[in-house]
Amino acid sequence: MQADLVVIGAGPAGMAAAATATEAGLSVVILDEQARAGGQIYRDVTRSAARRGDILGQDYSAGLPLAAGLEQPSITHVTRATVWQIAPDGAVAYSVDGRGAIVHGRRVLLATGALERPMPVPGWTLPGVMTAGAGQILIKESGVVAGRAVLAGSGPLLYLIAAQMVRAGTPPLALVETQSRRDTVAALRHLGGALRGWRYLVKGLSMLAEIRRAGVPRYTAASDIAVAGTDRAEALSFVAGGKRHRIACETVFLHHGVVPNMQAARSLDIPHRWNAAQACFVPETDPWGRTEIPNVFIAGDGAGIGGAKAAEQAGRLAALEAARDLDRISADARDRAAAPVRAALRGELAVRPFLDRAYPPYAAALQPADATVVCRCEEVTAGDIRGYAALGCKGPNQTKAFGRPGMGPCQGRYCGLTVVSILAAETGQGMDETGYYRVRPPLKPVTLGELAAMEETPAEDPAVMAADGR
Amino acid sequence: MLSDYAIIGGGVVGLSVAWGLLRRGRSVTVLDGGDGSFRASRGNFGLVWVQSKGMNQPRYARWSQQSAAAWGDFAAELGEATGRDLGLEQKGGYDLHFSEETLQQTVEKYETLKAKLGGDYPFEVLGHNALRKEEPHIGPKVVGAILHHQDGHANPLRLLLALADDVRRRGGRVITGQTVTDVEKRDGAFRVACADGATVEAGKVVLSAGLGAMELGPKLGFKAPIRAQRGQVMITEKLPRFINRPSLIARQVDEGGVQIGATNEEVGLDDSVTQPGLSGLAAEAVAAYPVLGRAQLVRSWGALRVMSPDGLPIYQESVTTPGAYLVTCHSGITLAAVHGHILPSWLEGAGDAPDLEVFSEDRFAVS
Repeated sequence: MQADLVVIGAGPAGMAAAATATEAGLSVVILDEQARAGGQIYRDVTRSAARRGDILGQDYSAGLPLAAGLEQPSITHVTRATVWQIAPDGAVAYSVDGRGAIVHGRRVLLATGALERPMPVPGWTLPGVMTAGAGQILIKESGVVAGRAVLAGSGPLLYLIAAQMVRAGTPPLALVETQSRRDTVAALRHLGGALRGWRYLVKGLSMLAEIRRAGVPRYTAASDIAVAGTDRAEALSFVAGGKRHRIACETVFLHHGVVPNMQAARSLDIPHRWNAAQACFVPETDPWGRTEIPNVFIAGDGAGIGGAKAAEQAGRLAALEAARDLDRISADARDRAAAPVRAALRGELAVRPFLDRAYPPYAAALQPADATVVCRCEEVTAGDIRGYAALGCKGPNQTKAFGRPGMGPCQGRYCGLTVVSILAAETGQGMDETGYYRVRPPLKPVTLGELAAMEETPAEDPAVMAADGR
Repeated sequence: MLSDYAIIGGGVVGLSVAWGLLRRGRSVTVLDGGDGSFRASRGNFGLVWVQSKGMNQPRYARWSQQSAAAWGDFAAELGEATGRDLGLEQKGGYDLHFSEETLQQTVEKYETLKAKLGGDYPFEVLGHNALRKEEPHIGPKVVGAILHHQDGHANPLRLLLALADDVRRRGGRVITGQTVTDVEKRDGAFRVACADGATVEAGKVVLSAGLGAMELGPKLGFKAPIRAQRGQVMITEKLPRFINRPSLIARQVDEGGVQIGATNEEVGLDDSVTQPGLSGLAAEAVAAYPVLGRAQLVRSWGALRVMSPDGLPIYQESVTTPGAYLVTCHSGITLAAVHGHILPSWLEGAGDAPDLEVFSEDRFAVS
């Protein structure tokens, strides 16, 4: 299979890019892991907006037109596709229902979005603890709302899920936030931008009001957060207002922001740099989303956190440049089409500096206590990482070799940032200098049978000799 | 501070030598690279292997045998000192064959070598049915195997960790994150300069920098005719034990995953992983053990072998700069025991030093 543009991920960036690209005359293949378009933010929107739109809110239903935009003959939407390898020449290997295939894209757009920042606090690996995003997936896909749940961490997504739980008639037992008044005051420096993005502020304030009306207790500047329990989560314990609190519960939703999902870009060795304001690594791209590999683009939260609306605009920009690049539209036509898109993008991003400063990550989860597990797959603790630093490890690939963090099925997605933060603190190096995991295929697990079935005589690649193990 | 030895390269080869020197009471400073350096020590297959080595040079076969024999004590000593299990298992290993013809050809070569080794080359040929008794999951396409009783495998990453740990514990100085830019000898002492301005002074220098010796070697008067050869390797999810003995195709590691390898590719300093490479490895592994078809691949990597023209190690004292030694090989795991136990006496010029003449650079034409 071949396409002018292969888009990986059918969230807002990928859906908008596909529609824009096809308008400009490109053939598009869009690969996505889910059964229906939408990504995380608009997950299952084509089914759930009608049924549960009242709970999920208007912003959720905004995904409907984007999903509808994929219904065009020149767009092939491959659902339930797991992409496990991307080659720099545009060959994208994926599997559907246990069968591997390759699609060659003349241009490739990585629109793989964001991940929730891991929040390793004592007890976070107990059953009953999940990310707020996982709680939202339950609501979107199944209409299931966890009862007797506590929300802890920071950021607008916590308000959103709390408000959705309130609307569903199952309010959370408490909202435990880690940001402090100091953060709020510091964020006021960015009030100008925030006022330009006033719609977000209004939305945030109205969600807070909704949560307050429902009588949900709210704590801020919480510290020393731990999940208590022996076989499963039984309570959330924390200090707030100079007092220790313990809230008995069955479910704990943890969340302290989202970070770019770097796996695809890292697997292509695309350079990244540390963004201190967002406390995450961000791939280096030009204003169109083009990376150091000229045929590979990144758009949406995967290129830096901007939210769904910004992702949509960034997807359009990348598609326009890909079309120009493949001589389907002129540079003039591209720039004319891009001008309103850029203006909209600027508007969407205006509120970011305020949000980033107002809701910083929970500091204690960036430098967890020695006993806290940081790599869940291989059960490696923060103390283990510090021990490897004492043995001379300067970066995460050395600790991976020494103690296996990052070797498990999650491919290091959930421990990478924590391991690098710990190492940077131990060695005194910066985050960029400390580096990140060398991400290798498979990006998602694939069976050997699928791989073996794809073996062809590699006549076009003389470099690959018989794999005879000698 | 003047060390007896500066070891350039803190991989398995450099650390094994450093460990052995410390054991002899010498002081050492090890200079190691950064997180992103090419590191065969991090990407190798983990075999402690004798068969197929030294087909044309019995001394190399002997050297490998000597190391395999010493590995038990070596692993026990390191394990005791550091509390880390090196996962050593030496109950034989296979060369699996998919055709009678290649099996027969290999057996003939082994017989020739066995004669040169005075009969000390304990292998046996297993036909498909005999092999199936040993390995119930072997596939129908495997016609037979050579079982060599001196073969085995270990956990190479735990070896690396235990060495890094015990070298420090024994008082070795290890400086990581360094790029050595220059080495010079003045007034009988070596001065090793690093990119960040750090310098180390030592009475002798061992160059065990893997592919890094390509650049540093000539500065010390070595030919260092080495090149990179890529091996792609992959590993499955953790599985219940079903492979009894390791082979060149697959081995089940002590943590449970099945490690599958490796390609041999002449692609220079490119350590990437390719879909054709992975598919080829998967196809062969599934042919050998069909049950692997259902196993999930969780990781793959490319690593660069440190190859000399004839594949043998190079042990050479510099002719132009005496006191500088080149120590390089592509079998750093197998040879770790002799590098720790025996090579130091050669570096020291001791009376019990092994004869390593055949591994000198004299065998290479002037480059």
